[in-house]
Amino acid sequence: MLSPLAPTRWDFDAAAHLIVRAGFGGQPAEIQKTQALGLARAIDSLVDAMPDHYPPPGWANPHDQDELRSQVQEALTPEDKQLAQKLLNQQFNTEMRDLTRWWIARMVSTPAPFLEKMTLFWHGHFATSGQKVRPAYKMFVQNETLRLIALGNFRSLVKAISRDPAMMVWLDLVQSKKEKPNENFAREVMELFTLGEGHYTESDIKEAARAFTGYRINGQDQTFRFAFQQFDPSLKTFMGNTGPWTGDQIIDFIVSQPQCARFIGAKIWKFFAYDDPEPKLIDALAGELRNAHYELRPFMKRLFACEEFYSPRARNSQIKSPVQLLVQALRTLPIPMPDSSVFEFALRQMGQVPFFPPNVKGWDGGKSWINTATLTFRYKFAHQLVKGINPMEIGLPKPPAMEMTGPRPTMTPPLLVDQIVSPQDRQEPDKLIEKLFVRTFQCTPRMELTSKFQDFVATRKLPLDDDTIRELLQLMMTTPNYQVT
Amino acid sequence: MKEDLEVLTRRAFLRTSILGAALSWTIPVFVERTFMTLNAQAADSSLQTMTGKDHPILVVLQLAGGNDGLNTVIPFEDDLYFKARPTLGIPKGQVLSLDQVVGLNPALAPLQGLYDTGNLAIIQGVGYPNPNRSHFRSTEIWQTASDAQEIRTQGWIGRYFDNCCGGEDPTVGLALGEQLPEAFSAANPTGVAIGRPANMGFDRENGPAEAHLFAELNGLEPASLSGDSVGTLSGPNKSGLSALEYLQRTALDAQVSTDKIRQVIRGTKNEVAFPKNQLGGSLSLISRLIAGGLPTRVYYASQGGYDTHAGQVNTHKRLLNELATALVAFCDDLGRKGIFDRVIVMTFSEFGRRVNENANGGTDHGTAAPMFVCGGGVKPGLYGKQPTLSRLDAGDLVYNVDFRSVYSTLLSKWMKAPAAQILGRDFPKLNFV
Repeated sequence: MLSPLAPTRWDFDAAAHLIVRAGFGGQPAEIQKTQALGLARAIDSLVDAMPDHYPPPGWANPHDQDELRSQVQEALTPEDKQLAQKLLNQQFNTEMRDLTRWWIARMVSTPAPFLEKMTLFWHGHFATSGQKVRPAYKMFVQNETLRLIALGNFRSLVKAISRDPAMMVWLDLVQSKKEKPNENFAREVMELFTLGEGHYTESDIKEAARAFTGYRINGQDQTFRFAFQQFDPSLKTFMGNTGPWTGDQIIDFIVSQPQCARFIGAKIWKFFAYDDPEPKLIDALAGELRNAHYELRPFMKRLFACEEFYSPRARNSQIKSPVQLLVQALRTLPIPMPDSSVFEFALRQMGQVPFFPPNVKGWDGGKSWINTATLTFRYKFAHQLVKGINPMEIGLPKPPAMEMTGPRPTMTPPLLVDQIVSPQDRQEPDKLIEKLFVRTFQCTPRMELTSKFQDFVATRKLPLDDDTIRELLQLMMTTPNYQVT
Repeated sequence: MKEDLEVLTRRAFLRTSILGAALSWTIPVFVERTFMTLNAQAADSSLQTMTGKDHPILVVLQLAGGNDGLNTVIPFEDDLYFKARPTLGIPKGQVLSLDQVVGLNPALAPLQGLYDTGNLAIIQGVGYPNPNRSHFRSTEIWQTASDAQEIRTQGWIGRYFDNCCGGEDPTVGLALGEQLPEAFSAANPTGVAIGRPANMGFDRENGPAEAHLFAELNGLEPASLSGDSVGTLSGPNKSGLSALEYLQRTALDAQVSTDKIRQVIRGTKNEVAFPKNQLGGSLSLISRLIAGGLPTRVYYASQGGYDTHAGQVNTHKRLLNELATALVAFCDDLGRKGIFDRVIVMTFSEFGRRVNENANGGTDHGTAAPMFVCGGGVKPGLYGKQPTLSRLDAGDLVYNVDFRSVYSTLLSKWMKAPAAQILGRDFPKLNFV
């Protein structure tokens, strides 16, 4: 189990598989470069890539809502209060849309795509939603925290997330009192974040809830503060250990359970490789994680190097998440950036709006991404990405007159054919189709598919014009094959 | 009309068998495999294989935003009601009495006819323990039929599909709107969402050659064979398929159901006029789809706008009137088509609203509220108890009927489905069916 891939099996398709799964795919030249590095250096270059210094959204500071909040508080009449509250909500919605756009744009432009992919994994794992958390700044802070520790130590990550203001609101830690501890976080930290159902008792939850008391948020700068008078310092018996435990100590007990490594190892595997890993494989992954003392960087390097990751079971077996579909299209094709309301709308139609997971379990993923409505929309959206997005044609509703605060969604220009197709390519359709195939499907051309496209353009006039080339790309992107990686 | 239906169904059945036997070359291999499984399953009595014209149909109608139950079914003899609702309270003289103590909001006047003819049941005080007052979370609880503290990822209707509708057409569940409701989430995803008919199906803007290649790449049948026939081949267990096969199957489902829905829309009409609003449009379409013999068991529609935090009087009046008018037109239309006895409509809302009105002429998020159930197969009357206003829980009504009892009743008595298996445990059944 987990032995390194034989060098002879490291080829173009293996390199493509790595950069699609560990990131969001790449231009054909990037795949070639990755292949040329060889397996070990290719993995190092992905996992150790220098993080970008991406500027935060302009509004992302702890005081950006101060003015509107005080307007709500100081309103003299119910009408004024209602109006101020409405403005506050509008600002929140605008900021959340912008946060989604900001993150997607970061995923598209980052020189460290694996870091963003891992951050996306942790967001789905520690799923927190803007449905409940206010203001948007808290969601931004959580995103930065996840990114900061995404490749660090899992134990530290769980501790950091227990002190994360967005999480503290989402799972009610802020309301937990010494006399009446709230059990929400104590339950989920075990059930969803570390161990899985059935590996703790109801009494463990109650005892842990008492340890996670005293967690508060500093209203001024939206940071964590420990309120000692709200902390329950008395003895707790957690998983057989009795002491005046704190939240951090509870996390230490949890993470030292062998089950934790199995749970996390399997979940990471499922996200990057394939569903339902074999029990033996889970054991091996858990062993690696424990040997690495939960350090994620070396663990991920082992994962990306092992032959199971490149096995037939892993290849082309995963349905792209909506975020993967969108970011990969934008990274691999010269598609002009749509505006934030288009992002938000399209991702919602496809079932994955970042910062709004459906519940505390995160997105189910896999086949649940696809039903008749989401698949129809994926195809419609692919057409639009290539020919230029018309917000009305993808069904983006006109904003009601009241909410016309932000700029109206605008049309996006069509895909820039000249950036990927040379005049020479236009004269040689067979070659052109192979080039487009590699770019679109991120693998070497498959005769059984390329021949169909070649037949399709056989009667077209040379040189092939932009419309024909866009039509080809639309066809490639509206196939089952394009939906999987 | 009835005869036409029978002919259509029989012909569809014949075409199905012929297709299965002879046309497998046009259909992807996995569908062929599926077809064999389907034949094998026909003998399995736990699966309800029925044609489009004889199975019971449930229409779920969501009143989104949290309907003010206390101003829907009104305790007009209770002084506490008028005390809590000094400006919003409906005067006793205007309330349409159902018995000595409760009555309907006058905006619901059209519903009184349904009540009097014995086709409307009203279940009072419906809710669940430890109520959640977030729209998002409480809707999720209703959609997944979970306990308040429990997260379930599959919907109650989806679990019904999983348990009872294996191997059936994807249109076994049909939601009006751009997205499938969470209630449809299933282990074996099924169900179709239809928004604007123009948005259904795949874009084929570039001509026949493109359409042909698109169909080929997606494993769809050539255009000459499209129609309602292949849809009945849609197979039982999508979960066993590979990702690619699964995608191909879903593309086929999307195409077949779109073609079929368009065909039905063209071939049917309404017998009465429906109100010209979103809900009226939805119910008019559902009535036509039922009449057209679609194999759909559960339809889902919604009416939004019930989140009346401010200026409630006019908004609520308009919404209730739209609801009542559309429901009555729907029942009437089905009645004239002779299919009223096959359909039950159930309304629900994620929560009721606060007992005390707020300072803005509105009401805030609350808890228990009444549900309406109407249709030919309904035993009319009032069920449950009107929650008392003298014993509130933190300013909110206390429920006395768990909403899952209503689901359980409909599932077992109306849909003939194993309710306890679907809902995860037994809930007491009511007598409205």
